[in-house]
Amino acid sequence: MLDIRSLSKKFGSGDSAFQALKSIDITIEEGEFFTLLGPSGCGKTTLLRLIAGFEQPSGGQLVLDGKDIATTPPNHRPVNTVFQSYALFPHMTVAQNVAFGLEARGTNPAEVAPRVDEILGIVQMAHLRDRKSSQMSGGQQQRVALARALAPRPRILLLDEPLSALDLKLRKQMQFELKRLQRELGLTFIFVTHDQDEALTMSDRIAVMDGGTLQQVADPRTLYDHPANRFVAEFIGEANFLSGTVAGGKLSLIGQAPVPLPRGADASGPVTVMIRPEQVVIGAAGGDAITADGRIEALVFSGTDTHVTLRLQNGDTLSLRAPNNSHATTTFAEGEPLRVSLPIGALRLLPEDVADAA
Amino acid sequence: MPRNPTAAANESAVMRAETRRRWSLALPALTVITLCSILPLGVMVAYSFMEAGQYGNVQWGFSLEGWRAVFLDRDFFDDSYIPATAHLTILARSILLALATTALTFVFGIPTAWFIATRPPATRAYWMFLITVPFWTNLLVRTIAIQEVIRADGTLNRLLLATGLIDEPLQMMFTNGAVLVGMTYVYLPLMVLPVYAAIEKFDFRLAEAAYDLHASRLYCLRRVVLPLMWPGIVAGSILVFIPALGAYVTPRLMGGGRAMMWGNLIDLQFGQGRNWPLGAALSITLTLVVVGAMVWYARRAAKGAETNG
Repeated sequence: MLDIRSLSKKFGSGDSAFQALKSIDITIEEGEFFTLLGPSGCGKTTLLRLIAGFEQPSGGQLVLDGKDIATTPPNHRPVNTVFQSYALFPHMTVAQNVAFGLEARGTNPAEVAPRVDEILGIVQMAHLRDRKSSQMSGGQQQRVALARALAPRPRILLLDEPLSALDLKLRKQMQFELKRLQRELGLTFIFVTHDQDEALTMSDRIAVMDGGTLQQVADPRTLYDHPANRFVAEFIGEANFLSGTVAGGKLSLIGQAPVPLPRGADASGPVTVMIRPEQVVIGAAGGDAITADGRIEALVFSGTDTHVTLRLQNGDTLSLRAPNNSHATTTFAEGEPLRVSLPIGALRLLPEDVADAA
Repeated sequence: MPRNPTAAANESAVMRAETRRRWSLALPALTVITLCSILPLGVMVAYSFMEAGQYGNVQWGFSLEGWRAVFLDRDFFDDSYIPATAHLTILARSILLALATTALTFVFGIPTAWFIATRPPATRAYWMFLITVPFWTNLLVRTIAIQEVIRADGTLNRLLLATGLIDEPLQMMFTNGAVLVGMTYVYLPLMVLPVYAAIEKFDFRLAEAAYDLHASRLYCLRRVVLPLMWPGIVAGSILVFIPALGAYVTPRLMGGGRAMMWGNLIDLQFGQGRNWPLGAALSITLTLVVVGAMVWYARRAAKGAETNG
């Protein structure tokens, strides 16, 4: 329903010009929780501001319900924003803040109050309706900002890192509530964050961005299991990168005998192979796997498991997880030798150059 | 619980020392307030109840003549008292002029302050400097400078003649308009500074939020920008209105003394009029008018905050 077509944005001109977005194409579905994820400066906020209408695109189209809204001013777009800073009107009460969008649009005054009460009920802020926004905690302001943006019944709700100012516990709780709210309302959310955990737990689909380009658009599981390139693999979760060579359909890795390529992979010459730490098996694995010996360089206890850094005989380092459950049989010590196996099914061949992947 | 008498004594000694310390810290401020505010005001009040000396100054002795003269004139022929309507006219004229000055500084000051506050931070100081620089100059010099601009063979007329917009110089000097122009020029920085401070503090993300929430630019201005700038606008208006009400240099130079203002009236009593008690009483009257207006405004603002809150 929201079709982003070759959308680009350039700031400034001449030598000082900065290409914030380079020809973005995404189709966001009705009722989807869509996340824009990337490091700061990747263009995710610029894309959000283009959808909100605060910036005009340098090229491309924004088609909402069959109509190009790329040049429509923000006040005429059926889109509302929850701002990172909340941007609540400090001279108004909670109820006045929430009513603002309705009143500004000229909603019949008789319909404003019931809608304000309804929406304050949804975000559980009805008891504070007459508070000034300056007299509330961060979490409460967050709820009011959400209610204010929801009140005019937008087609799409934009959320610009709305949870980044909250402490960890409250952030977890709000993640859960936002997701529940989005499901109940069946509303399209476009959520901007730099926090990969937040993105993975909340989103239906995630667009990973870097340097103004889309790196990959996929559901969380696919992003994690089948990253399109090294940037995505590194940004989401932890990863080991190993250099290998493919010759005659066989992969040589970490100085071991060549093995058949993982299913679906096709390459020849030098390749980068990615494996997640938790996929590395301690000891010899059954089935197709590359087995190698190394020496433990570092051990870091982290509760549910221990992070092991292993120096392989060929010089590569590998990080892996040793679960700390009661039936773990092996005990580890730094400097000790350790045999590990890399199951072939868990290996991912990545394109050599990130920039080419985009 | 029985208390140790020495401990209690110690405690009261500590408290006395603390009280002394607080008073000594407040002393510089108290001295300044007493010397610069309370004392001169007290002198004025005292003078207004004394007798006028023959060659100016005051003579010891209680008299209500000064205050009488504020409100009542002695009829020239039969010595009966008639209301001093001339004073009322002058007061009304002064209030009107002060209001008009406030309105004009508002009209010119808001866009100026807005312009400066929306410049890049590096150039803001430069614009502020340009606005405040005339303010560092003597009032008399500034007034004469603006005279130079608008007099018959002044800059403005020569410019207009050169462009062919007019055939003969406009007579602008010594009119009410000239007084207003001079006053606006002189008091403009007093409006710009507090309004600028308010705009600079304004979080433009709020305007963005309003825009996002379907507000037109005008609606955003009315519901978000102006209410948040209001304290600055009020401060600027008060800062302009009060000195404008008592102004006498600018009306005299720009108006040529034709239309007397309250400030000129006071000036007159201390000069040629040689009626210091009347001058003092007129001053106190003006102060009371201003204080009354402020109290009225504060009450109204408090009531407004109650009904809104």
